[in-house]
Amino acid sequence: MDILTFMQQMVNGFSLGSMYALIAIGYTMVYGVLRLINFAHGDIMMVGAFLGYTFMAVFDLSFPVTVLLAVTLSAAFGMFMDKIAYKPLREAPKISLLITAIGISFFLENAFTVFAGGVPRAFPVPDYMENIFNVAGVTFSVASILVPIITLILLLGILFVLYKTKYGMAIRALSFDIKTVNLMGIDANTIIALVFGLGSGLAAIGGIFWAVNYPSVEPMMGVLVGLKAFAAAVVGGIGSVTGAVLGGFIIGFTEVVVIAFFPEMGGYKDAFAFIFLILVLLFKPTGIMGEDLEKSRF
Amino acid sequence: MKKILSLAVASALTCGVAMAKEIKVGAVMPMSGPLAAYGQVTNLGLELAHKQQPKLKNGDTIKLVLIDNKGDKVETATATTRLISSDKVVAILGALTSTNTAQTIAIADKKKIPVIASVATNDKLTARRTFANRVCFTDSFQGEVVANFAIESGYKTAVVVIDQAQVYSLGLSKAFQKAFKKKGGKIVKKIKVTSGDKDFKAVVSQIKKINPDFMFMPLYHPEASMIARQSKQLGLKKPMFSGDGVANQTFIDLGGDSVNGYMFTDFFDYTNPPSQTSAEFVKFHEKETGKAEMNSFTALGADTYNILIDAMNRCEDPTNSICINDQIKKTNGFDGVSGKISINSEGNATRSAVIKEIRNGKAGFKATVNP
Repeated sequence: MDILTFMQQMVNGFSLGSMYALIAIGYTMVYGVLRLINFAHGDIMMVGAFLGYTFMAVFDLSFPVTVLLAVTLSAAFGMFMDKIAYKPLREAPKISLLITAIGISFFLENAFTVFAGGVPRAFPVPDYMENIFNVAGVTFSVASILVPIITLILLLGILFVLYKTKYGMAIRALSFDIKTVNLMGIDANTIIALVFGLGSGLAAIGGIFWAVNYPSVEPMMGVLVGLKAFAAAVVGGIGSVTGAVLGGFIIGFTEVVVIAFFPEMGGYKDAFAFIFLILVLLFKPTGIMGEDLEKSRF
Repeated sequence: MKKILSLAVASALTCGVAMAKEIKVGAVMPMSGPLAAYGQVTNLGLELAHKQQPKLKNGDTIKLVLIDNKGDKVETATATTRLISSDKVVAILGALTSTNTAQTIAIADKKKIPVIASVATNDKLTARRTFANRVCFTDSFQGEVVANFAIESGYKTAVVVIDQAQVYSLGLSKAFQKAFKKKGGKIVKKIKVTSGDKDFKAVVSQIKKINPDFMFMPLYHPEASMIARQSKQLGLKKPMFSGDGVANQTFIDLGGDSVNGYMFTDFFDYTNPPSQTSAEFVKFHEKETGKAEMNSFTALGADTYNILIDAMNRCEDPTNSICINDQIKKTNGFDGVSGKISINSEGNATRSAVIKEIRNGKAGFKATVNP
């Protein structure tokens, strides 16, 4: 393999991985505070993409306004989901929460199939996103380079919120012990809602950029991406935000590398991504950045 | 008085039974899910044909029972069983793709219920099955058409992108490879993908490095459109060719201007209706839907229905599934919406193919290829 193709594949892996990373952050944060793997998270990404589609294709709004509106609405939707589905189950066994999450996932997929139909719709990508750059023979579109940058900025933003703000401190405290935090005068439910809002907002950004890179939206689009992002969160160390981003990149690169080196095996790239997950679970169950599950979070 | 009344009721009843019954015909189509774009246009063909011809010659009415299989194998099996055991249908139309149609045929064959597939092109589908029939051509014919075209256009090396999760893709790629090699072409690389994938930048980068003359991609439209888009992004400009799996407006919508020049084999072109029957159906379609453009799958959907009705009309008892099946296999030179169709004793159709090229967001007619 010549260096040019290698560089091109690296760029491809970087752009794919950063989208998994954006979604993995939401998984990891919700897990951090509630010990819940929110399987509906991939579908929130789909909701975000559909909101983006609606604002752009139906209401003809500009791209930045669309992102802003879709993210805000998705965040609100995440909080609403927490309020009606997860909050009543705070005292229930963890397995009930998990089953509820799977239920919500199916509900969202089917509700969107009913309202939007099953046919994939073309996402109206703004022209400037599709502009192509060519640097020393390596080509990439604006969108594919914008996503990693946005991911890293958002990662820094999330880390800032977690470590430099009062709310961040509350989130971290919550991840240790919900009951004690309540005794300290912090309203745990508000903080949990905040976490859902943040995670869902990020998933919506992930969804919209997914739709920009692969311009079609359909109700099942979140299923596989959600699973991969979940794998990314576990590989990186579930509960760790930096780990989630790292895991996202690792899963993205694994897929690209499989195709680059073994094109005949390309169809099994998902299998390779999940084999990676199994290996990590076997040899370092807490993931790359994860510490002892019962000790610290984030 | 009472006697007369009961006599009247009794005669009315017997008359009713003797006059006309309602016969159920099943349809299994992906109306939602990843293949919905195909299922919906095919079902439109069924419905339009039903509207034109809702009754048999003897006056019996046909009732279409549609079940959505969501493009899923398991759902297809459930739907087929339900149609046969609870709805008591005399025949089943569709299941559309080869993978799903194989499920339908496997179940229906045991229950001796004839199936007419609209666009399931896999070669093996009808082998060793008595009750399996189709109105489309097979993949070996389609693969040969593409290979001939490539060789005639002077393309010597080809990359084949295969969707390993779809029987359709595996069968068609095999047929193409065989025909292409036989005519002196060389397959330089086979790349496997899985339906549902969205990111093909690694695949495209790989093909760009190999630099073949020709790309054959027997995929469905969600994957093929993404490959076309990402090829444009990464600067890969090679002739791209697919089978009937992309014969769909959704493919063009999803691909945008990156599918300009993309070619594919198809069954039918509404701008070149092959017969009077065909032209009339295109007009009827426009009247009913308000759209002049008619998908080729709509034509094939209508043909499955029309051939079934034709076969039923030739049976003394139009509910006798075995007779219907025999008559379907005697279809010879049927004047269908999509062209002349003959069905042989194996249930395979002999018919022509059409090559189309996408220009400015429209699939344009390029050539007709006869078997």
